[in-house]
Amino acid sequence: MLRKILIGVAILAAAGVAAVVTMIGPRNVIGMLRYDTRKDGALRPGSPAPDVALTSLDERGGVVRIADRIGRRPLVLVFGSFT
Amino acid sequence: MYIREAHPIDEWKMKDNDDQGICYPQPKTLGQRVAIARDFVQRFHYAIPLAVDRMDNRADALYGAWPERIYVIDEGGRVVYKGKLGPFGFHPEELEEWLARRFGGEKTPISRSAFLRNAPLAGAVPLAGGKTQ
Repeated sequence: MLRKILIGVAILAAAGVAAVVTMIGPRNVIGMLRYDTRKDGALRPGSPAPDVALTSLDERGGVVRIADRIGRRPLVLVFGSFT
Repeated sequence: MYIREAHPIDEWKMKDNDDQGICYPQPKTLGQRVAIARDFVQRFHYAIPLAVDRMDNRADALYGAWPERIYVIDEGGRVVYKGKLGPFGFHPEELEEWLARRFGGEKTPISRSAFLRNAPLAGAVPLAGGKTQ
């Protein structure tokens, strides 16, 4: 009896998952799972800011170093993308 | 800092991608990243200097930046403000408050345009409303 109940619950759960995937689309499900892999990083207030070499948008694609921008006044870093 | 796309069409495409006509696949090369960053600057007349994270995603990894995040680094090179992860924790108004506390009462010694031109990536970045602290 218990086994039948468990099988029934498992079937209902699988049907629910299938319905959700169908409704929002498998790509969105994958996207949401990937989105959940965001990492907070190890930096905390007081941590030294790591230096990183980035690429500038000028025609030569020159190097922009974070460390080179530190010193004259507080440096604001805004990370993001177009989307 | 331009980092890897949050909603490229080949990963997690949103309705907003189509609504706003922002449909890019995730860049596979640095050149593709630079091209998208340039599109962004052109579309929004973005005056703040923008640099591109390289394909090893080093800046993203070290700063835990994706999909979006704000930091302030002080004159000594230490983190003094670390915003929460976007999109839900992305609050530019917290940065504005920090800058107001830091620069409260001081007058900006040069004009906004001159400031941005002369101090790329640094200082009191104008936020929504164009106000500088």
